[in-house]
Amino acid sequence: MRNIRRNPDIIWREEEEARDEVLRAMARGDDASGDGTVLLVESGMMHQLNLLGGEIWKLLDGIDEERLVDTLAMIFDVDRDTLSRDVRDFLVDIDKRGWLVHE
Amino acid sequence: MSRIPFSPITINWTLTFRCNFNCRHCYSRPEKAQELPTEQVKEIMAKVARYKVPFINYGGGEPLLRGDLFDLTGYATGLGFNVSMNTNGFLMTEDKAALARESGFRTVGISIDSTKAEVHDDFRNTKGSHKKAVSAAKFLKEQGVRLTISSVICRINHMEFEDLVRQARDMGAEQISLHNYKCAGMGFANKDELDLTPAEWKEFYLKAIALREKVTDIRISMDDPITATIHKAPEQAIVKGSTCGKLSLNIRANGDVTPCGFIPVVIGNLLKDDLKDLWDNSNILEKMRNKKPKEKCLTCKHYEDCLGGCTARAYATTGDFNSPDPHCWMAK
Repeated sequence: MRNIRRNPDIIWREEEEARDEVLRAMARGDDASGDGTVLLVESGMMHQLNLLGGEIWKLLDGIDEERLVDTLAMIFDVDRDTLSRDVRDFLVDIDKRGWLVHE
Repeated sequence: MSRIPFSPITINWTLTFRCNFNCRHCYSRPEKAQELPTEQVKEIMAKVARYKVPFINYGGGEPLLRGDLFDLTGYATGLGFNVSMNTNGFLMTEDKAALARESGFRTVGISIDSTKAEVHDDFRNTKGSHKKAVSAAKFLKEQGVRLTISSVICRINHMEFEDLVRQARDMGAEQISLHNYKCAGMGFANKDELDLTPAEWKEFYLKAIALREKVTDIRISMDDPITATIHKAPEQAIVKGSTCGKLSLNIRANGDVTPCGFIPVVIGNLLKDDLKDLWDNSNILEKMRNKKPKEKCLTCKHYEDCLGGCTARAYATTGDFNSPDPHCWMAK
């Protein structure tokens, strides 16, 4: 299985305050899945990732998909199949956008 | 993200107000401020870096007039900033292009406002400036520095923007920024001669957006919040309305901070103030982030997307952040 990295041309930053707020909202049982926790700037365009996308993004520093899911399973309380599917969907989406490098 | 980022994404930095040109639209020509020495600029850079600001863009004034430009840029890139600049290109040489690469410039933007040399030279009040700008672009490309072109859309070029895009692409630019005309500084003094009417702005944007959706070999950038009235972005914007004070701040040559280069309202000075404190607690920024509709904006169905358009233009022409953007074509 090939390792995956973030495209180094993409500038990004974790929004720590937003992330803390999302975590607090989740602890209250609120839906915060649409709230951004990571900002990316790619070709002059700005994008945001939600908590799951942001956590995946931070881990993409030369990791294969299985290890990625293993690591995320320690963070998110969700069944493995659902997590694997969500991770796959996210990776496919950002790969299409050119945000990934496959080693 | 409905919230403002925890610190600016971009710092627009006027390292100097000095300029070798005397352009008819220049926002900064009337500005005067004591220029900071190298060590104090670096001191501010280090303070800004604490808050993980990813981008610095030098505007001006002409950045190449600072003898320490590449020293400062090397320092900034060492702190983790992605540095870019806008220059008229007149002072760019092969050696300086090499220094631009070595110091780590992420991109360099050259200002070119017409494909016709005589029109550009007249607008910039400097004979030979078009030729020099084209040479500057060539030197930068030869060094492998990523190139962008900036054009201020106004009376002299709004009908030839497609040629500007073609010219930029032929020069090897990754992006052309079609900047909207700002009524600040000389731009305010010359607005009757150079600015377009609201109807002309609408016509320009309709054509330019159509072209942007068609071309694939160069990015066309048009950061103007009033385009929200005619075009829905494919993805929801991080913030709506003007990005000044929401995603970016401006630092002047003396360290003063303003919401944007076109709004001469000082909210602090980074030699003594903390960036995060200004970002979180400035009353001026708070007003810009929470504009209230006025006049025709009160009943406009687009207000929630454009938030009154460009705050700088509204402020320059009325002294009120909340006034409708004078470029807005929506009916009263």
